[in-house]
Amino acid sequence: MSESETILIIDDEVQIRRLLEITLSASGYKIIDAPTGKEGLIVAATHHPSLIILDLGLPDIDGHEILKKLREWFYKPIIILSVRNSETEIIKALDNGANDYLTKPFRSGELLARIRVALRSGETKSDDAILDFNDLSIDIVNHIAKKGGEILKLTSTEFSLLSLLAKNQGRVLTHQHILKEVWGYGYIEQTQYLRVFVAQLRKKIEADPSKPKLLITESGIGYRFG
Amino acid sequence: MFHNAMILRTEILKHIIAFRSKINQYLLSVLVIGLTTLVCSPLSNTPGYYVVSLILLFVVSTLATFLRIGPVLLASSLSALVWNFFFIPPHFTFHIEKADDILMFFMFFIIALLNGILTTRIKHQEQLAHEREERTNALFHLTRELSKASGIDEVLASAIDIIKTHFSLNTSFILQDGDNVLKRSKRLPQQIKMSDEEYEIAIWSFNNKQKAGKQTSNFSNTTHTFYPLLGVRINPGVAIYYSDVLFTAEQEAFHDAAFMLISNALEREFLGELVQKSRVLDESDKLYKTLFNSISHELRIPVATILGASDTLITGLHPENVQSALHNEIFTASLRLNRLIENLLNMSRLESGHITPRLDWCDVNDLINKVSQDLKEELKPFNLLVSIPENMPLLKIDFGLMEQVLYNLLINACEHAPVTSNIWIKTYAIEDEIFIEILDRGPGFTNEAMKNLFNKFFRVEGNKSGGLGLGLSIVKGFVEANKGSVTVENRKKGGARFIIRIPSMQHEIKNLSLENL
Repeated sequence: MSESETILIIDDEVQIRRLLEITLSASGYKIIDAPTGKEGLIVAATHHPSLIILDLGLPDIDGHEILKKLREWFYKPIIILSVRNSETEIIKALDNGANDYLTKPFRSGELLARIRVALRSGETKSDDAILDFNDLSIDIVNHIAKKGGEILKLTSTEFSLLSLLAKNQGRVLTHQHILKEVWGYGYIEQTQYLRVFVAQLRKKIEADPSKPKLLITESGIGYRFG
Repeated sequence: MFHNAMILRTEILKHIIAFRSKINQYLLSVLVIGLTTLVCSPLSNTPGYYVVSLILLFVVSTLATFLRIGPVLLASSLSALVWNFFFIPPHFTFHIEKADDILMFFMFFIIALLNGILTTRIKHQEQLAHEREERTNALFHLTRELSKASGIDEVLASAIDIIKTHFSLNTSFILQDGDNVLKRSKRLPQQIKMSDEEYEIAIWSFNNKQKAGKQTSNFSNTTHTFYPLLGVRINPGVAIYYSDVLFTAEQEAFHDAAFMLISNALEREFLGELVQKSRVLDESDKLYKTLFNSISHELRIPVATILGASDTLITGLHPENVQSALHNEIFTASLRLNRLIENLLNMSRLESGHITPRLDWCDVNDLINKVSQDLKEELKPFNLLVSIPENMPLLKIDFGLMEQVLYNLLINACEHAPVTSNIWIKTYAIEDEIFIEILDRGPGFTNEAMKNLFNKFFRVEGNKSGGLGLGLSIVKGFVEANKGSVTVENRKKGGARFIIRIPSMQHEIKNLSLENL
């Protein structure tokens, strides 16, 4: 762990805040918290945390609003932690700039893993020309992907898809977002294209395409890489 | 308004016709007597003038069969005078010479009068009987009409119809809410607006069980008339007449009878509805109790485990292996609790009809991966086999709902199959359908259980694994929300096989040409 990272928790439930503080402190993070949206915004502005864990059901301001306000200036990862588990809610949050979404009740192990991934992606989100994932390497500039040193035969759409996902490693990209980025606005509803291409891509990059480790499905929402 | 004017005009017309017919009848009787006299004139100078009296009597009684009493009396008096004047000698005077002729004349006069009166009276009575019969018929018809109608709305519709056809009146009804309070919005047709004042009068009429409004002694300065519907046990409401109520005594009697029938029919429906309501309440009460009992029981077990284990952990120092065992207990109990809550939420979503599946294309691999990942721990003791054909088409489903379906089916398999046995997820496509099968080597189901398996709160007897009996009913509900169906059968060598069939919707992606992308 690098310099202890500060995590801001915006949640109105005392018990959840206490639990998160115990679990996250034990993992070496420095914790600050805020019970309301207003306080959360102030604390975020004054303390500049490395990551924010945000609840959507806050007593004063709706979580989506806070997310939008934060995203006006806050570029570090935001993870949503909410009891709201409908897909539309999750997609809305992701489209508003959340990096990840976890529904309560959650497993602390899972949360820690997501935090680690989010923080890491925050670090590497430079314009690296070559992205490495174990035995997979992606050369964005030259449009070349290698697996175990061997060049993969990818169509240009497959490569765009792969590089989009890889550049946003650890982050959940919604179907609509991916379709818009790779195919363009007119294809935003054509999820079947995405399914077909993901299946093809998995066959090329995954060790076992039926048990993907790199290109992970977020049920009903989108995909996550890494 | 237009309608009222129409009614008024026909009323006036009726009066005119009646008036005309009265005059005509008098003229007719004069004319007939005159003609008879003329016909009989040859007999005036003969002793046959007695015959003339009989002929005249015959004519008067014939007239009496179809004329009113006035013209008949005129005819009888006239015939007596005519007979005297033209036929009884000396002719052309009212003077009568012979004593027996005088007797004859008075006899004739009395007989003619009596004859006329009696005949018209018989006729009148016959007519009354006829009218009575008509009314009885109408009431009978009405009774049948009303008893045919089922449900308050139908009864009201036929009541409005009856009042319209028999009395030419426009009506509407406002009913009480079941607690003896007249509800303004209840059953009053949308297009009819009711002023506060009218509502007040309706309430007054309902509470005092008396007519009110125009042509009554209460609130007579309004434009409508309000009739309370009086039942035997409850009073269903109030009828409002929008046209002027001008009844003859007979019409009024008929109206009251008809109105009573309507009131009774409405009361009948009202009571029926109340009974129905209380039955539903009873049933939902029973369901509620069952639900409550099983929920509190099911919730209490994991809560007790968590409470007990954490309490032990807090209060004393225990060796590491005990601690970790307790931690595990807490973890397992919370998973169970979470599953229960998830199932309850899903059930309530299904029950409230709030499930709107977001059908989207999914890879069946993703679906099975997700579920087997979530159930990693539970599936550990088993040998999970997954078979998906290479060219398996995409599925158009709601991923979340289908995930829950597989989750529930797999959890069931894990709970009932013997450790180390195979649990098999098999998917394939046949024609326009996609099949997902979950097979286990558990005990399977008895025929009795098979019938009720997908019912809410059904639990196989002797089931030791607890649960609310919601899992499979959620499976059924969610599969159906995905436009599919689910069935179960026992496997030949033991175990259960759940078969989910979903329409493949392949026609929607047939035109998908990958080259173009």
